[in-house]
Amino acid sequence: MFFYGSASGKAASKELERIDQLFYNYANSSSRIIDPEGIESLCSDLELDHTDVRILMLAWKMQAEKQGYFTLDEWRTGFKALRADTMIKVKKALLDLEKEVRRSSNFIDFYSYAFRYCLTEEKQKSIDIESICLLLDLVLGSQFHPQVDALNQYLKIQIDYKVINMDQWMGFYRFCNEISFPDFCNYDPDHAWPLILDNFVDWIRSKYTMHFANISIGPTSRITAAIVVPTAL
Amino acid sequence: MSSGPKKRNFQIEAFKHKVVVDPKYAEKTWKVLEDAIREIYNHNASGLSFEELYRNAYNMVLHKFGERLYSGLVSTMTLHLQSMSKSIEAAQGASFLDELNTKWNDHNKALQMIRDILMYMDRTFIPSTHKTPVHELGLNLWRDNVIHNSNIQSRLLNTILELIQRERTGEVINRGLMRNIIKMLMDLGPSVYQEDFEKSFLQVSADFYRAESQEYIECCDCADYLKKAERRLNEEIDRVSHYLDTKTETKITNVVEKEMIANHKLRLIHMENSGLVKMLLDDKFEDLARMYNLFHRVSIGLSTIRDVMTSHIRDTGKQLVTDPEKSKNPVEFVETLLEKRDKYDKIISSAFSNDKTFQNALSSSFEYFINLNPRSPEYISLFVDDKLRKGLKGVKDDDVELILDKVMILFRYLQEKDVFEKYYKQHLAKRLLSGKTVSDDAERSLIVKLKTECGYQFTSKLEGMFTDMKTSQDTMQGFYAACGAELGNGPTLVVQVLTTGSWPTQSTNTCNLPVELSTLCEKFRSYYLGTHTGRRLTWQTNMGTADLRATFGEVHKYELNVSTYQMCVLMLFNNTEHLSYKEIEQATEIPSSDLKRCLQSLACVKGKNVLRKEPMSKDIGEDDVFSVNDSFTSKLRKVKIGTVVAQKESEPEKQETRQRVEEDRKPQIEAAIVRIMKSRRVLDHNNIIAEVTKQLQSRFLANPGEIKKRIESLIERDFLERDNEDRRLYRYLA
Repeated sequence: MFFYGSASGKAASKELERIDQLFYNYANSSSRIIDPEGIESLCSDLELDHTDVRILMLAWKMQAEKQGYFTLDEWRTGFKALRADTMIKVKKALLDLEKEVRRSSNFIDFYSYAFRYCLTEEKQKSIDIESICLLLDLVLGSQFHPQVDALNQYLKIQIDYKVINMDQWMGFYRFCNEISFPDFCNYDPDHAWPLILDNFVDWIRSKYTMHFANISIGPTSRITAAIVVPTAL
Repeated sequence: MSSGPKKRNFQIEAFKHKVVVDPKYAEKTWKVLEDAIREIYNHNASGLSFEELYRNAYNMVLHKFGERLYSGLVSTMTLHLQSMSKSIEAAQGASFLDELNTKWNDHNKALQMIRDILMYMDRTFIPSTHKTPVHELGLNLWRDNVIHNSNIQSRLLNTILELIQRERTGEVINRGLMRNIIKMLMDLGPSVYQEDFEKSFLQVSADFYRAESQEYIECCDCADYLKKAERRLNEEIDRVSHYLDTKTETKITNVVEKEMIANHKLRLIHMENSGLVKMLLDDKFEDLARMYNLFHRVSIGLSTIRDVMTSHIRDTGKQLVTDPEKSKNPVEFVETLLEKRDKYDKIISSAFSNDKTFQNALSSSFEYFINLNPRSPEYISLFVDDKLRKGLKGVKDDDVELILDKVMILFRYLQEKDVFEKYYKQHLAKRLLSGKTVSDDAERSLIVKLKTECGYQFTSKLEGMFTDMKTSQDTMQGFYAACGAELGNGPTLVVQVLTTGSWPTQSTNTCNLPVELSTLCEKFRSYYLGTHTGRRLTWQTNMGTADLRATFGEVHKYELNVSTYQMCVLMLFNNTEHLSYKEIEQATEIPSSDLKRCLQSLACVKGKNVLRKEPMSKDIGEDDVFSVNDSFTSKLRKVKIGTVVAQKESEPEKQETRQRVEEDRKPQIEAAIVRIMKSRRVLDHNNIIAEVTKQLQSRFLANPGEIKKRIESLIERDFLERDNEDRRLYRYLA
């Protein structure tokens, strides 16, 4: 464990003291770590909902291992990284943090951390669909709203997969980042996208075909079946 | 004697007297020769002295009068040729060629003599002055003065062409004369032959055949047209051999091929009611062979035939396999396929000279449509089953091999060989267990063929099944040797012990055996487990047969061969007269669908109805009541009721089998992926798909989507990882 050097050693230790003090404000007295109750408390002091993405980002800065718990070491790491030692400074830091994370090349690190953070059981490798949808919204929703919306819809409808693994999770981000939406004009099935994304693209394309077919016929006629031409994988 | 310096020279002095060269010497000498030449041309050569003429010519050259001699020759020969021309021109009608021929012969004879006379000049003066030698000169002068004479040139060509035209329309012409005339043109040099004959000949021929082919194609059917074309072709070849330069053969045949065949290629092939397809359908070997030979000569002619044949086979094949009527009976289905294959095999060997490209086209067409029907693997197995059960009874060994080889050909076309394997296993199991195989040798022979085709792994389990049968026999012997005494007069038990891995998986169902049998079975179980440790035995009551001695109406005795289920049901009636369906179900605990089928076979089949059913309907209802049919009779003493014959699967069974096949494929795909990645270490997506597909090709056609799924599963289980930079690359994790 290292301390970042600051001008005077005394100032540094004072800082550390304050950080530790803040920690013990929220920590459980018997276990000496912050548990979910403590986190609730922390959140209300920060005036943030505990489902706010910035809490997740804070956890990331802390490199927190277990969801819902912060250890002293993690606390120290996080606060040092934010250069904060009071609640006011933390609040301000968190405001900037979101912009910083979204912009920087760190985002992919944060993104993969978000997945790992949700793996609660030991040896767990995948996350169930419902949780994934929430996580996607949380992490990518503001930046890629239409894609996330469509993807969530698809994930809930499809039956091929009941859980999502890390490889697929990473695929989602790259997909949102690189692929033109909703036309997918630069989507190349030969580029080894996870199968679930191939299926997603097919699904969207067929949706749009149906939609278009509906429009071209008058309001009184109905189409009972649309012709869907699947793309070759 | 001494002599003074007297000069004594030997000198040969030149002639002191000059030989007076007669200034008229050249002219005089030339005159002699000129006259001689004239006599020669006038057929009066006999009076001439060769030696004198030769000497004269010799002297002229010697005395440096070669130039005079040469120019004299040119002018006198020219004169004679011009007069010959006149007489040729004057010839009327048919005698024109005759006259020309005669004069040509005359000229040649004369030329020969003249050349002999002027031999010295030919050998000395001419080479040194680079003048044209006498013989060649003679030919050139003939060409220039006769052949290229404006009154003769076109008349000659037209006459020749007209004669050829007449011959083409069936007239007989003087071929000897033609040969001489054409030879004359050939002798005058290739450019004369071509310019003054061949070019026009080819042009006129092209026009002729173009018109003729147009006429024929309107009124003939394909076979007739081809016959005519072939005839014309042969005619032209014949013509060349008789009176044209051999080099013309290729050129004229090209003309015929182009005008008569190449230009009408497609129209001929696609001719309604007589084109290629009709010929194929009607097995018109001769016509097809003719078409093949003719089209072979034109570019892409054969490939056109091949393409039309291929799409015809594909279409008819597709119709065949997707026709629900035709696919009702599996054995007939396969027989139709074999017939079709035989038909085209015969066509290709008799009419298409066993052309390999056609054989390949046939194979690829079959491969295409056989796989359009997903039940093809099952049906082929059923066909084999039928043959091995009874179809091959009494058939000679060689014919057996023939049939099995043909089956193997169809097998090779299958994309889903693993589906075939699954069905074959099922059907083989039934055959072995019911002892219903016609020939052990035939069974073995087919296994060997499958092994050669697909490798050891494909057949190892099948061979295991045969081994189990043999081992079971030995086990039974041991059982009766050990326990025979205590079994006494009870029913005779024959057990086949099957090794689980080799035989098709069956779910074990409940079935309550009659008491006499269950004790017997337990005795066997303890015997077996006594001699084999660490094993488990499970009775497969859904298989197996029983021979029952039955007495009907206290009089008629029969031996009934039934299935295990049927035996359980029948034995119940030893204790009661009437039983309802529900009661039977309770007593035997046989699953209802099997029980219903079993009861139907015992009560509803004419000639085999050992049980009576109230009501007499075909379906089994919950409240139906059964009793023994006292009035049951049969012509045979041994009545076979239970059939464990392989049948076409029902829909739900088919789905189940298909599912099992799909499940089996997953580990195979994964094994292939791991094998490939282990050796390559790093590979991109498209290449993995291609390699995996290739590796699995001999068993089934792998779906790229399924392969992708397996790759992702392997990534999840940390066998592979994606490359960080290039998402298309996969890396093997040791």
